[in-house]
Amino acid sequence: MSAPALTSPAPDAVVPGRPTVGQRLTAFMPVIALVVLLAALTIADPGFLTLSSLTAAVRTSAPLVVLAAGATLVVLCGGIDLSIAALCSLATVFFALWLPDLGGITTVAIIAATGAIGALQGVAHVLFRIPSFIVTLGGMSIFTAVALVISDAGPVRVVDRDATNWLTLYVGGVVPMAFVVALVLVAAVSLVLRLTPLDSWIRATGYSESAARLAGAPVDRVKIAAFTVSGACAGLAAVMLVSRNFSGSPTMADNLLLPAVAAIVVGGTAITGGHGSLWRSLAGALVVTLLRVGLPIVGVPSAYEQILYGAIIVAAVALTLDRSKVLIIK
Amino acid sequence: MTSPAEADAGSEVVNAGRPQPRRGISLSDAGPPIALVVIFGVFAVLSPDFRTLSNVQNVLDAAAVLAVVTCGISFVLMMGSIDLSAPGIMGASAIAVALLVANNRNDNDFGLFGVAVAVLLGAALGCLSGLALVVLKVPSFMTTLGISAVGLGVATLMFAGVQPNVTDPMLEGWAVERFLGLAHLTWIAVACVLVGVLVQRYSRLGRYAFAIGGAEEVLGLSGVRVAPYKVAVFTMAGAFYGLAGVLVTSQLSAGLVQAGKGYDFSAITAAVVGGTLLTGGRGGILHSAVGVLLVTVLTNGLVQVGVSPYWQGGVQGLIVVAAVAAAVLPQRRRNQVTK
Repeated sequence: MSAPALTSPAPDAVVPGRPTVGQRLTAFMPVIALVVLLAALTIADPGFLTLSSLTAAVRTSAPLVVLAAGATLVVLCGGIDLSIAALCSLATVFFALWLPDLGGITTVAIIAATGAIGALQGVAHVLFRIPSFIVTLGGMSIFTAVALVISDAGPVRVVDRDATNWLTLYVGGVVPMAFVVALVLVAAVSLVLRLTPLDSWIRATGYSESAARLAGAPVDRVKIAAFTVSGACAGLAAVMLVSRNFSGSPTMADNLLLPAVAAIVVGGTAITGGHGSLWRSLAGALVVTLLRVGLPIVGVPSAYEQILYGAIIVAAVALTLDRSKVLIIK
Repeated sequence: MTSPAEADAGSEVVNAGRPQPRRGISLSDAGPPIALVVIFGVFAVLSPDFRTLSNVQNVLDAAAVLAVVTCGISFVLMMGSIDLSAPGIMGASAIAVALLVANNRNDNDFGLFGVAVAVLLGAALGCLSGLALVVLKVPSFMTTLGISAVGLGVATLMFAGVQPNVTDPMLEGWAVERFLGLAHLTWIAVACVLVGVLVQRYSRLGRYAFAIGGAEEVLGLSGVRVAPYKVAVFTMAGAFYGLAGVLVTSQLSAGLVQAGKGYDFSAITAAVVGGTLLTGGRGGILHSAVGVLLVTVLTNGLVQVGVSPYWQGGVQGLIVVAAVAAAVLPQRRRNQVTK
């Protein structure tokens, strides 16, 4: 896209010396939201701030954290991955079907398979220059179709529960293993990004793809890698879901798409790319989970949950959008 | 705006004095109709059940709802935006209309007025996504994703755990009674396509939608206030989805929250297959109508030759990716940045 220099708002182009109060506030938005929510829920129901309910909450949040963390990488590159939930559902079916044959290595096989599928989407996006949301929207309906066909449109029971048993354990008797795995994932990916040039490449791609390309960053490979990680994360999330539900189902994770997107944008990652981090998505996922758990506590019917997601997504994107970059909003 | 394809067409036709505003037949315009004929022919050869008159009626009737949704989404795509709000808006309007006409949940019996209210509800939700786009400057796929969720939430609230079954004879009749061999629904869809074509060709709204997709900066610099037209396009799209929700309710004789599930994607597929560019500025209602028939014939034909109906979405997914890739590949250099 040729940057239309004609319409660029000149006064805003001055580099700001230090962040304004508003910018500081939005930077800490997810953490503030988390604390406020916790406080509000505790006031509404003093029994909420107990160890057992908090443990249950973080345990529920684990698949969401993993899904959101993976998709965050794609968003940082300036794209979007709408296929994560459908891919996760497909992976739960794969898991249930493969477990009898593959046994202990099923988890690894699932993550590898979903990673490969993610990579395929990335290649389609990069090679054919199809907008990422179209590729992943197409992927979403393809994955759902495949999942429906191979599962005969019904849940597939997982009989052998030993394979996922480790995810249901508690570290130190308190912290659910699934959440620890999610934390380790976020930490590991963040660390890898920080220690390698990947971080700069991803950010450069997100902030200005053409500039990144001209500067010699391997933009195409970075994007494919982001999609690969996003797919692999969907696989890991699927294993977590199976460990909780003891079955695979072609629609199991479908209702996680909106919460995952909400988690990313509530965390403050700009949908335009470049600005954001996996830690933000972690906080965002916790906020979304607390909302989900908390609405019934304060007596709001769960039908409002959807409306809330919609409002949150629009509001959060509006707050975090990098307006200096997009002159024309499509 | 002269393309090589136009020159081909020009060599056949005697040239009228002034340059043609791309009304002639170019190769990319002729592609979808040819594909439609070819696919129809292939299925007619493969399946004896497919080539019956009653099946052709079935295909047309089955295309009705998708055609209405696609009418709405086409204008949005023409502007270069995207709209994922169809499932939510359709769900909300489906439940709303089911509760407003004669039904088993309450004593309402507003008939056509109820239908109008449901369409208005759709328009209001569409207007909301347009406003969020223009005022908050949130990209359209995000606003419409959000509005879709809002619509589903509103629908769930109205649904309140008990399914409203429609007992209104008029609304039920739309899906059952036939005129010239086609259900009334199908004629409503045909009327929608006609309205769409008229708006696209002869109203300022339709022409500006094209222009916004083609070159928004230029339009803005020429002193056109683009924002109101964008909101208007989304509002109109919402109204079409609202009507589509009503049609689904008429088909099912019941209001369902999931009335619009999957229609957003099917409609995008239909529009793209019909020759609408996702970058905006190309396509149109008639293109999309051909696309709708293509998608419906494919769906129907695949079932007739014995492919599991679960593959439906998968086939659409493949088609949309292939169609977009085919449309974008020739301009690879030009839009080097793809988000």
